[in-house]
Amino acid sequence: MRRHGEYKMPGGKLTVVDLAVEHGRLVGVVVSGDFFLEPDEALAAISAALEGQAADLDELQLTHLVERATPAHTRMFGVDAQAIARAVRRAIENGPSA
Amino acid sequence: MKTQWRDHDWQLIHGQARSPALHMALDEVITDEVAAGRRAPTLRVWEWASSAVVIGRFQSLRNEVDPDGATRHGIEVVRRITGGGAMFIEPGNTITYSLSAPASLVDGLSFEQSYAFMDAWVLDALRTLGIEAWYQPLNDIASRSGKIAGAAQMRRGNAVLHHVTMAYDIDANKMLEVLRIGREKLSDKATQSAVKRVDPLRSQTGLAREAVIERMIDTFRSHHGLQADSLREGELERAQALMRQKFATPAWTALVP
Repeated sequence: MRRHGEYKMPGGKLTVVDLAVEHGRLVGVVVSGDFFLEPDEALAAISAALEGQAADLDELQLTHLVERATPAHTRMFGVDAQAIARAVRRAIENGPSA
Repeated sequence: MKTQWRDHDWQLIHGQARSPALHMALDEVITDEVAAGRRAPTLRVWEWASSAVVIGRFQSLRNEVDPDGATRHGIEVVRRITGGGAMFIEPGNTITYSLSAPASLVDGLSFEQSYAFMDAWVLDALRTLGIEAWYQPLNDIASRSGKIAGAAQMRRGNAVLHHVTMAYDIDANKMLEVLRIGREKLSDKATQSAVKRVDPLRSQTGLAREAVIERMIDTFRSHHGLQADSLREGELERAQALMRQKFATPAWTALVP
C-alpha cells in the first residue's frame, strides 16, 4: 500500500513523497514536487538514498541522509533536505492510502 | 562578469505552431546553441499546435495528471526540462515564451533576482496594457486579481533558459478534469477557486491574444533591441530527433512516476 506525504517549505515550493513501508523499510520511494534542482540528477540520487532505509528514522536523521545523498554543488530552490525529510515523515505517518 | 541586455544581439523567433513535445525539444536545442556560441541570445515566442499539460522536471506524473481526463480531452502530457509546476495549455488561451541567453546575463544574481530580472520587460509591457503586475517569489507573475504567469529557469552549460507561460484565457473546468493538483487545491478552503487563482489576461486587457503578444515583442525590442530571426533547418532537425528520442517517449514523461 502506497503512502503519500506533502510538505511546503515556508516561502518555498511543494515537496511530495510517495512510498511504501515493507518490513519496517521504505520501498519504492519517489520524491517529487514543483521545486528547482540543478543538476537534475540530484533528485534520483536522493530518492535512491532513501530506498531501503528504516521507517523509524526521525526527521533529523532523514535530513542528514538527504544532505549526504545530494551531489556536491547541487543548487536547490524552494526545497531543502529538511523539507524532503518532513515530507518523508509525513508519508510514513499518514499510513497506507488508496 | 555580468553582462547587460544591450551587450547582446537579441534575436526573435516567432514562427509556426509546433507540437508540445517539439517545443520542449526546441528549448533544449536553442539554449544549447546559445551556450555553444552558434546562436545569438534568442527570444522565442511559442505558438501551440495542440493542447497539452506540461509538467515540471521534478513532478510526479501520477500525482499531477488525471490520465482519463487528459485522454478524454485529447490532451498530450509532456515533461519539460525545468522545474516548477504543471501548466494546462490550450493554443488560443496561452502565451508562452522562452529566453535563451548566455549565463553571464544573470551572473551574480540570486534565484529570485534572476527571475525578476529576466521578466522585468514583461511587467513593463503589462503596465502599458493597464495591468499592474509584480513578481511573486519564487517564480510567479501576479496582479491584484490573481496569478498571471509562471516562470521556470535553468542553467545549461554557459547558457540560461528562462521560459514563462501566461494565462491569456482559461477553461477552468477542463483544467480541473486534467490536473489533479487543481482539484486538491480547490478542496482547500483557503483557496477560493482555480478561476480566481489564475487571472486571465483577456479579461484584464480586453485585447486579442495576438495584440498582447505584439505589445510584448514591441516592449522587448524597445528595451533590449530585437532582430527578426527564424529557426535554422539544422536546429529544427535536431529538435525533431530529440523529440523522438526523449520528449515524446513514455520513459521521459514518466521519469518521475
